Order: sequence, then C-alpha cells, then structure tokens
Amino acid sequence: MRTPRIIGTTAAITLTLTVAACGSGDEDTGSGDGALVGEGSGADCQIDAAVPVGAALSLTGGAASYGESQRNGLELAVAHLNEQDGITYELTVEDDQTDPRQGITVFENFVGDDTSIIIGPTLSNGAFQAQPIAQESGVPVLAISNTAAGITEQGDYIFRDSLTEAQVIPQTIALAAETYDLEQVVVMYSNDDAFTESGYEVFASSLEEEGVEVSDTLTFSVSDTDFRPLLTEALAAEPDALVVSGLIEAAIPLVTQARDLGIDVPIIGGNGFNNPQLMTDAGASAEGVVVGAAWNSTSDIPENVEFLAAYEEEFGRAPDQFAAQAYAAMTIIDVAVRHNCSGERDDIQDGLNNIVDLPTVLGTLTINDDRDAEHEAVVQVVQDGAFAVLG
Amino acid sequence: MPGDATLVFIAIGGIFAFSFYAVLVAGQLSLGQAGFAAIAAFGSASLAPAPSEVGEIPALLIAVAIGMSVGALASIVLGLPTMHLRGVFLAIATLGFAEAVRILIINTESLGGAQGMSVPKVVTPAIAWVFLVLVAYWFWRQGPSRYGRALAAIREDELAARAMGIDVGRHRLQAFVTSGAVAGLYGVLWAYFVRLIAPEDFSFTTAIDGLVTAVVGGSTLFVGPILGSVFLTLVPDLQRAIGIDAGWIRPFLASLLLLLVILFLPGGLAGLIPRRVRMPAITGTDLGSAVAGLDPRRHPAAGEQVVRLRGLSKDYGGVHAVRDVDLEVTGGEIVGLIGPNGAGKTTLVNMISGLVRGTSGTVEVLGVRPGRTAVHRIAAAGVSRTFQHSRLFPRLTALENTLVGSHVVARPTFLRRLLWLPSARHDERQALQHAARCLERVGLADKGAVVASALSYGDQRRLEIARALAADPSLLILDEPAAGMNRVEAEQLSDLIGALGRDGLTILLIEHNVGMVMRTCTRIVVLNFGEVLATGTPEEIAGNPEVVEAYLGSAETEEEPR
Repeated sequence: MRTPRIIGTTAAITLTLTVAACGSGDEDTGSGDGALVGEGSGADCQIDAAVPVGAALSLTGGAASYGESQRNGLELAVAHLNEQDGITYELTVEDDQTDPRQGITVFENFVGDDTSIIIGPTLSNGAFQAQPIAQESGVPVLAISNTAAGITEQGDYIFRDSLTEAQVIPQTIALAAETYDLEQVVVMYSNDDAFTESGYEVFASSLEEEGVEVSDTLTFSVSDTDFRPLLTEALAAEPDALVVSGLIEAAIPLVTQARDLGIDVPIIGGNGFNNPQLMTDAGASAEGVVVGAAWNSTSDIPENVEFLAAYEEEFGRAPDQFAAQAYAAMTIIDVAVRHNCSGERDDIQDGLNNIVDLPTVLGTLTINDDRDAEHEAVVQVVQDGAFAVLG
Repeated sequence: MPGDATLVFIAIGGIFAFSFYAVLVAGQLSLGQAGFAAIAAFGSASLAPAPSEVGEIPALLIAVAIGMSVGALASIVLGLPTMHLRGVFLAIATLGFAEAVRILIINTESLGGAQGMSVPKVVTPAIAWVFLVLVAYWFWRQGPSRYGRALAAIREDELAARAMGIDVGRHRLQAFVTSGAVAGLYGVLWAYFVRLIAPEDFSFTTAIDGLVTAVVGGSTLFVGPILGSVFLTLVPDLQRAIGIDAGWIRPFLASLLLLLVILFLPGGLAGLIPRRVRMPAITGTDLGSAVAGLDPRRHPAAGEQVVRLRGLSKDYGGVHAVRDVDLEVTGGEIVGLIGPNGAGKTTLVNMISGLVRGTSGTVEVLGVRPGRTAVHRIAAAGVSRTFQHSRLFPRLTALENTLVGSHVVARPTFLRRLLWLPSARHDERQALQHAARCLERVGLADKGAVVASALSYGDQRRLEIARALAADPSLLILDEPAAGMNRVEAEQLSDLIGALGRDGLTILLIEHNVGMVMRTCTRIVVLNFGEVLATGTPEEIAGNPEVVEAYLGSAETEEEPR
C-alpha cells in the first residue's frame, strides 16, 4: 500500500509543478519595448537584444527524418550568422512530434512568448493546422518544407522558401519527356500521404500537358516496402519510364526492386527522392533515377560550396534538400531583419516582402507577391552514384 | 496558465478517453472509436452548414448533432455483428473497422483524400470544456445507477451477471453505442478546432492514445478519463517548460512515466481517490420486493409447481452427466440435492437455471423453459442462484454486489438520475435499503463497504447468498453454500436457510454436508452417476441402505478428519 501512495504524491506534485511551470512562462509577455529595433541599416545594422527565432519541426514521429535535417540546417546557419557582427539570433527548436496537437501547442507558445518569426512546421498538413495561429496574431512564418498548394494563401504573414510541386514537377516532366523521348509511362504513388498525393496530382497534369500517355496508375501505402506485385504489373505495360510520387522510405526499396525485376527505364521521382540516402542505400540500382528538386546539390555557386563543406564537417554527412532549405531560411530571415534593422514581427514581415534576387544555397531567390519563393529548380539524374544535372 | 490549445486538447482528449471508458466499464476492449470519430468529423464537416451562414455556435451544435448521430449509428452497425466477441477479438474486429474507415476516406476524393479537408475553427477552450463537463456528468450519473452497476457486473463476471438477470447483449450494445456517440463528439470538436482534418488524425495511433488516456486515468471512476487527459497532455508541456531538449528523449521519458503509473497505479490515477461507500441505516428485516418499494414479485403459493423436470438428460461426449431425471419442486419446499462428487448435481442445477441446455427431456421453471430461453429471462422469472465456486463481482463492494442482485426487481434509474428527478433518488434509496437488509440477513451488515475479493472465504459464500436473495427470488438455488465453512459457520448457515424456508421461500440446496441437509430440508433427492437413486424425507433417506452404501458411508469418513 505504501508505494502507490508515494507514487501518487509524486504524481500530484508533478502536476502542480506543471501548472506552476506553465504559469511562469507568461511573465515576460508584452513586447514593444523596442529592444529589437536596432540602429544602422543593412550590413551595418546593430540590434542589442538577440532576435528570437522559433522553429516547430518534426523531430520525432512519422516525419522525424526530415525534421532532423532541418534542425541541422538551421543550427548551422544560426552559428554562421551569429559569427557576424550586429545581430545575434536565438534559435529555439521545438518538436511537434508529427502530431497536430503538439504543432498547434508549439505555435501557440511561440506566439505567446515574443518569438519574432516562426519557422515550420515540417509537414504541409501540420502547416494548415498550426500556421493560422501565427497569422491571427501577426507573427511572420517562414515555411521551409511545405510544398502543398495554398500554404501562403492562409494569410499575409505566411511566407515560404520551399518551391511547390507545381513549380518543380512540370519542369522535371518537360525535360525528362524531351531527353528520353517519353511516349507512355506508368505512374505510381502512395495515396495515403498528403505530400505524395498532391505530388501525384501535379505529375498527372504535367504528363497530360506534355502529351505523355499514362498507361497505368498504381497506388501503394506510405508504409509499404514490397513493390514487386505493382512493379510486375508496371513491367507488363512496357513503359518508357516509371513516374513515382513517394517518400524516400518507399523510394529505396521501390527502385531496388524495379531494377531486380529488370525495369531499366528511367524512374522519375518527386521531391521525396531528392535525398543522398537513395544512392547510399539503393547503390547501383539508383542509376538512372531522375529527380526534380528545389536544390541543386551539385551547384558550384559559392554559397552552396561553402554550405556543403560546413555541413559535412559539422555533421559528418552530406546535407539533403531539407537541410539546404532550412539553411536558406536563415539567410532570408537575416536579410529581412536587416532590411528595417529590426527584429519586431511586423518589420520582419515587411522585410520578407522585399527579398529580391538574394543569393542563397538554393540559388538566386526572390519572394514574389504571393509570398512564395521563386528560384531555379533543377532536374537531376543519378550517374555514377551521385546526382548530376540532367540535360 | 496553460495556453488555449492545451486547454482544448485536455478537454477533447478527455472526451475521447470517455469514449473508451464507456466500453471499458462494461469490460469491452474496443479500438473502433477512431473510426467513429473519423466518420463523425468528415460527416459533420461535409454536411453541417458553414459558420458564416448560421453563426458559429449554431453551426457547431448542428455539427455535433450530426457527428454524434452518425457515430452512434456506425457503432450500431458495427456492434450488431461484433457484440458477441470478447476481449482481444473485439479489439481486432473494431480495429479492422477503424482502418477500413480510414482507407475509405483516403480514397474518397470529395473528402480531400490524404490531404484532408479544411474546417473552420470554432471551438474555444470554454466550448470544449462545456462539452467535457456534459460528458463527464453523463458518466457520473451513470455510475451508481442500475444501468451503471449492471455494466460493472458484466465487466467483473459476465456469467454471474447473466445469472442475476442482466441482459448482457443489450447492455454491451448500449455501452458500445454510447461510446460511438461520444467518439463522434470528439471527432466533431477535433475537426472544428484543428482547422484541417486528415485521415491520419484517426489512425491506429489515435485509438491507442485514447485507450492509454482512459486506462492511465482509471476506467472505473468517471473522473479517470479527465485525469488521464490532464496528465498526458501536460507531460509534453512540462517537458518544454523545464527545458528538456526537443528530440527522442521526450517521448522516451513520457513513456517511462506512463510505465510507472501503470505499474504502481493499476487502477489508474483515479485509483488515488478514496472510494466512499455509505451503508444506509437498516430499518427493517423484510426482504420482499414489494415491501422494499421495488417492483413487486408474486411468489408461487405452497404446493404450486415451481420446477418440473421430465426425462432430463445431459451428455458431454460419451459421458452421461445427467440421465433421465424426473423431478418436481413445489412452492415452499426446501429440496436437498445430494450425491457423491460427479453425480451430476451441478449440471442439473445449471440446466434448471438455464446456463446449460439439456440433451433431451424438458425443463419448466416458473413458467419459462430454461435452455430455450436466455439466462437473464430465467433470472427475471424468479430463479436466483449461487455458484459452487464463488462468482462474485470481485472489485465491487459487498453492497454493490448485493445491489446488482436486485437488478431484476429494481427500477431503472439512470435517465431519471440524469434529470436529477427526486423519484430516482427515492428508488436508489429503496434499492440500497433492500440490499442492506439482504446483507444484514446473512450477517454481513458491517462488511458492506468491503470489496468482495477482500472478504474471507466464508463471507464470500454468504455474500453470494445475499446477492441471490436481493432478487427476491421465487426459487433460490444454493450450490454447496457451506463448502469450506467451519462447523460453527455451517450451523449458522443452516439456521439461515431454515429461516428462509420458514418465510416461504422455495429452495434447492446442493450440499455435501449431509448433516446440514438432514436438518434443513423437507425433501431430499439423491443423485448417483447422473440418475436419481432415491427421493424422500430426511428420515426415509437416512434409512435407505442403497443411499448409505453409495454415498453416506464414504462421505462421512472423508469429512470427519477435518
């Protein structure tokens, strides 16, 4: 009888502490004391207080593999920015556990504790659930991986640096159709994931636009790992290429099994395929995979070369697109803050509206009137175990 | 103070946990609630008018009405074919249902597929908590009602619950439908708070979350789901507040904490709340249902037929447990049924009480046909029994056990309790008074607040009798009530049975203690190898050489050394 009572007391104390701890978070509310408004402008801008940047990323749960890359990219970027004079950034990375409840709560906390700008969340569905909270309270949001349509339509505080599928996929299909002389293809996609499903929709319309015939459309689940039955079906259609909208977890077994079955036509993937893991895990099978991407990992612009080296040194492996987009986000935010030399929310929003031809790891980037990023997309093909630009 | 979102998630998480509580109290493990919630969420989001047209609150109320109705409807559709499943089989069947719903929604283009469907945000903390309070109120009022006690009895021992006259199938389905409606409410509130509903919000993980919340909070007291939701919702908040690094360590610690709670608080957080049992002051000794203000029961007059067996047999494979038994019991008789172990005594009374169906022959008891009629109807006709091995409701108190016994004569009180009608309070008092008198009659008046499993063996046997008496039976079947009792206890019991017989109660007594049978019974039937060996008055039986040889001699020598 004694132990339960002790545990009970502990539980009661824990709950009390929780409530107390939550209570203490509110004390420093009430911005507008001007500490975030600095002097000077542009490169000379000096802001005394650290500019708080919040990031709600999926560090655990279903999307954990993306969130981890994003955190690395952000931390690397903040470390680089803080070496410069004038402005320091205080980055708080929070985990939304790939759970709408946590995403909403984390956003609410950021809104409540004077965070100047919020980055994230990782997944588009989570974005539709959490970002309106920031919009309603006038906190700027920079989405770094949401590719679904309609993200920035949620309001004038919502920006993104990630290209949508509608920006990347049509270029991919157009170039692949031209290069490989595609006449008819088989399309495969996982239909129980928001990202891959919307990717499929763009693939389908792009294929139609290019006049490529779709002889078969096959669906699978995000959790599937055995694609042999579907691939056998696809093989029977003798397509000129396979077009696949899937996540990296599906891409690796799918590509491996396709090659095993003797499918040696190009496999055209979406954003989910744009991951160095593909070459690491699928090995020779990855050869001939075509990937449309928002980030050209082989780009030799100085920003990218420096980023690749720094990331490799810090984390011991090559970055993926999620890390690159996260890194670029801090570059954009820094310029936006310096635009008005202020870390206040509305000033950052104004700054973000004035991002034009900014050199980033993603290339030269402009934020358009719809608050979406515009920069060159790249179509890559796996050659000799590495991504190379197609064409 | 926790933020708005945290407050809302505590409330709707609690409501979802209540949808699991609704069936857990009846001992059912269902994982279909995520499916009901999904149907309700997507159904109401597509059917209800937009808040911009009719106003926010009316739109939400319409959505809630739609959601709860489709949730309840879906649970009826799922419940009818699955209600006979138990334990893990029901869990798997309902889980299959929830998965089917999720996959259906993914493939329904008009619902947005995997990208989900956007829903206007209407729910505020105040709205969410109002609904939580309403749901909690429902389950608070349900607990100590006749309906609530019946569900608890089914959870504790389904067979005994049937024998006490509880229609198990109907009660289980009712609990399941309640669960469906509450899960539907959760789905609607979720939809109207998170702005975007996607099929992944109603996955297996969601169902497990709800189940864990209900179990951690405690599934036997109505505050359990709320405590569970407060606990589980605040753990991530607490971790953020004390600055534990975001990442794997947080879910790891949360799971560890969960493990500790389950290990040390098997009854959940609600187990920390002491239970208060108030024994009413006993004001009389009459155990008749009419006197107690319950539904009056008419008992057969002396000499009127109570039990009539004709050529009754029961075979188990090649074993003839009971062979061609003819037996009649009339009103006011105390019939002793004796015989060596394996003589078929228990099989015979199981056939009389409807638990076992005879292979051939007929049984007629109090105008009903056991074996062809559901067990609870036999009990409702006035047959009440104890079991050879005690089948009490172990986690219920002695008083609650006895109250369950009065199920067939008590009036339903749940709906009236919801409306707080004085008549419900009156009826509950009557039932309590009646139960207390039954306890008093068997000498357990001071043990009413003790849970059955904590009673001594002899007290458990007496409690079974009290529970059987609470039904104000026309026929009381006692299956070895004195087994394991010492001589003094057995004598007291013998006196009690005799006294009950003098009150006019018809009793069928199976007993090994031959002395007790001789003292108590008006007539004795001796079974041997499933057949009636002899029947007659105690004197006749004692003088029957066949009986003495078959049974008495050997039994006597076995019994004595104790």
